[in-house]
Amino acid sequence: MQSVRSQRIFFLIAVLIVAGLIAWWWQSQRSSTMTNRITVYYTKLDGKSEIPWTVSMRPPAPGESSAEHLHNTVLYAATQVLAGPPATTAAIRFPPGTHVLSANVTGSTVTLDLSGEAARQSGDLAENGAFKSLVWTMTALPGINAVAVRVAGQQLTTLPGGHLELDEPLRRSDW
Amino acid sequence: MSRCAALTGSASLIAALLATPALAWASDTLTYTFGGEQIAMTQVRSEPQGPAIAVDDPGLTQLLGELGATVTWRSGERYILITTAEPLVIGFAVGDRQYDVGPVAQTAPFAPFVEGGHAYVPLDQLLSALDLAPKNDSGRTVLQPQLAGLDVQTAPSGAKVVAHAGVPLDWRVRSQSSSKIAIEFDGVGTALQPNRTLQGDPISRIELKTEGSISAPRTVLVLWLSPGAPAAVLGTDDQRDFTAAFGTLARQNAPAPQARPEQPVAQTSSTPSAPAQSGVTAVRSTSANGGAVVRIDVSGNPTYEWHRLLPPDNRWWIDLHGVTLSMPEQSTKGSDPISGIRVRQQAGAVRVALSLTRYNAVAVTSDATGITITVSSSLAQADAPRSGPQNNAGSVQTVQSGASAASGRYVAANPRLIVIDPGHGGSDTGAIRGDAVEKVLTLDVAKRVRDILSARGWQVVMTRQTDRDVYAADDSAHDELQARDDIANGRGARLFVSIHVNSFMNAGPHGATVYYYKAIDLPLAEAVDRRIAQQTIIKDDGIVKDKLYVVHHANMPATLVETAYLSNPDDLQLLESPDWRQKMARAIADGIQDYAGAPSPNLSNGQ
Repeated sequence: MQSVRSQRIFFLIAVLIVAGLIAWWWQSQRSSTMTNRITVYYTKLDGKSEIPWTVSMRPPAPGESSAEHLHNTVLYAATQVLAGPPATTAAIRFPPGTHVLSANVTGSTVTLDLSGEAARQSGDLAENGAFKSLVWTMTALPGINAVAVRVAGQQLTTLPGGHLELDEPLRRSDW
Repeated sequence: MSRCAALTGSASLIAALLATPALAWASDTLTYTFGGEQIAMTQVRSEPQGPAIAVDDPGLTQLLGELGATVTWRSGERYILITTAEPLVIGFAVGDRQYDVGPVAQTAPFAPFVEGGHAYVPLDQLLSALDLAPKNDSGRTVLQPQLAGLDVQTAPSGAKVVAHAGVPLDWRVRSQSSSKIAIEFDGVGTALQPNRTLQGDPISRIELKTEGSISAPRTVLVLWLSPGAPAAVLGTDDQRDFTAAFGTLARQNAPAPQARPEQPVAQTSSTPSAPAQSGVTAVRSTSANGGAVVRIDVSGNPTYEWHRLLPPDNRWWIDLHGVTLSMPEQSTKGSDPISGIRVRQQAGAVRVALSLTRYNAVAVTSDATGITITVSSSLAQADAPRSGPQNNAGSVQTVQSGASAASGRYVAANPRLIVIDPGHGGSDTGAIRGDAVEKVLTLDVAKRVRDILSARGWQVVMTRQTDRDVYAADDSAHDELQARDDIANGRGARLFVSIHVNSFMNAGPHGATVYYYKAIDLPLAEAVDRRIAQQTIIKDDGIVKDKLYVVHHANMPATLVETAYLSNPDDLQLLESPDWRQKMARAIADGIQDYAGAPSPNLSNGQ
């Protein structure tokens, strides 16, 4: 009688373990296939209109706080903007090699420190279009409405080519 | 017996694995050959499923540098992002086997991890994403660049083939006839499907084959053509990819955003898009106290600015930026004194325009759900503002300009004075193309504008009359630009016009653009742009709002004119012509006069 009872307990434990493993596997598969989508804006060569481009990123990691997720999203989206769309798409681009040195979110303002290549734009059209795409992309993220830009760790007053002003955070309303 | 079999099996397995280049990762150092150079990767971890490389490994850094790729990762961050020169973002996330190569999600055998302050990613997957294939060549492992993509785009009476690789493609035509074109790509191999039959016209079949050695491969692309195929246009769109275009697709200057087959999520729009939650949902008009009230229901946090025209036109309009029209465009009659209301989606804004029967006073207020426009039965003061920036409730600030600009009014201390600013100068050359130098061209055009306006009775001050810095040689951009604004601000000038020459990274863009920033700049910019469009033969790129320092910090109505592109051969030809520069100068002067009227001692302020 006791042997039968032991077998039942053993069987029940085994069932629970298998169920747990299935649940774990299902959850891990689900989290690995879930993606978040963000919209990246690229400025067309007319310097005025934007191309919205949807990109996917990984879902939040287990235990990732909303602040950490926003930081990760900002970094991911900014990197996509700086890279530009595929070569077959005509758009204003940041100079090759421009990348994010750091990203910080304070309140509703993102501060991006860009590598020195960012200051090598050649004129108003390029400066205007490239930074417009950056600001439109960042301010499309929830809770963000301004973008402060530093270049190679320095706070610039303006860019050298077309003199886009960088001493204050940029907003969509600047365009 | 079984023990013997196990030993034999293990030995066979080890021998088999040693025979493959992949097993070079058994040590913590991997040595590759790339571009004839040896690259040693020393921060390699041997994971059961394959090698992992630290993203700050000196060898990997060298390889990425030669490929023009950059890494974005800092300690504590989840994403490890590698931007290639293609450009493409390879996105790894710590703890997640899924990774993205551009828009394509893939799965690695193990997840990236952080150890000892270094982030490690699966090396084999990274090399593949960089379009590099490790190949064993007489005992050494060569990283062979791969022709990794061959996209075919077809259209009625046209076709386009785009080939791309992890490195810029060095191509030449091996043979060409009416039935086929063979193109060689030096230095790249390929694992792509060798044969592809197409149903379309003018390409009927595509063949790929690799020749040469592992260290010096050569891939040959053969395009078999249908009878009567149009001539091919061969070249590169971006100095990296190779393009063979036929018929209608060969005539496109700028290819449409052509997604790769695996790129399903891309979308384009001819108008700027805003987050879906920001939109104008309703516009309605009601009578009130002999006047009328127009209510605009808005979701989201748009910004707006309004403008009006003087009698007898009496039109008044408001532009809501960063929103889309979430209702049908409408054109309706309003309640007196509004004779008509039009609601339109424009580039980057929704415009609500009111036609008024008289020059009525108009007040604008906003709240969390929209904007209310109150049109009074009484008339507006003659000197009332004719434009104004405002914010919607809870929205971001619109214009960070000085008090005079924010109030929509500017009273010139010297209404006869116009300040002309020749861009750059002295130690700052501006753009250069051959013998053409921006600072020289801007000074020439500015002097011509000065002469025309002076002859018409205006007092004109130039921020510089010679090739010099306005503040000091090699000064900061802030000091230099502020010095130019100070000249106009300190003298209480009527308006400020900065003259520049544009340039771009390639020869594509051309034309003249007139920039503004503050709301009070807009009518001046429009007037100058109108004259440029009428009087110069250059393409008119219109007016663009941009936060340019000299325009922003001028207290008065200001504009910056980019007369033409040095980087475009046709525009350069115009810039080099004194006759054309005189036409441009006259157009700018005429636009100024259209805006400001004729100079007179009793001239009122420009608003």
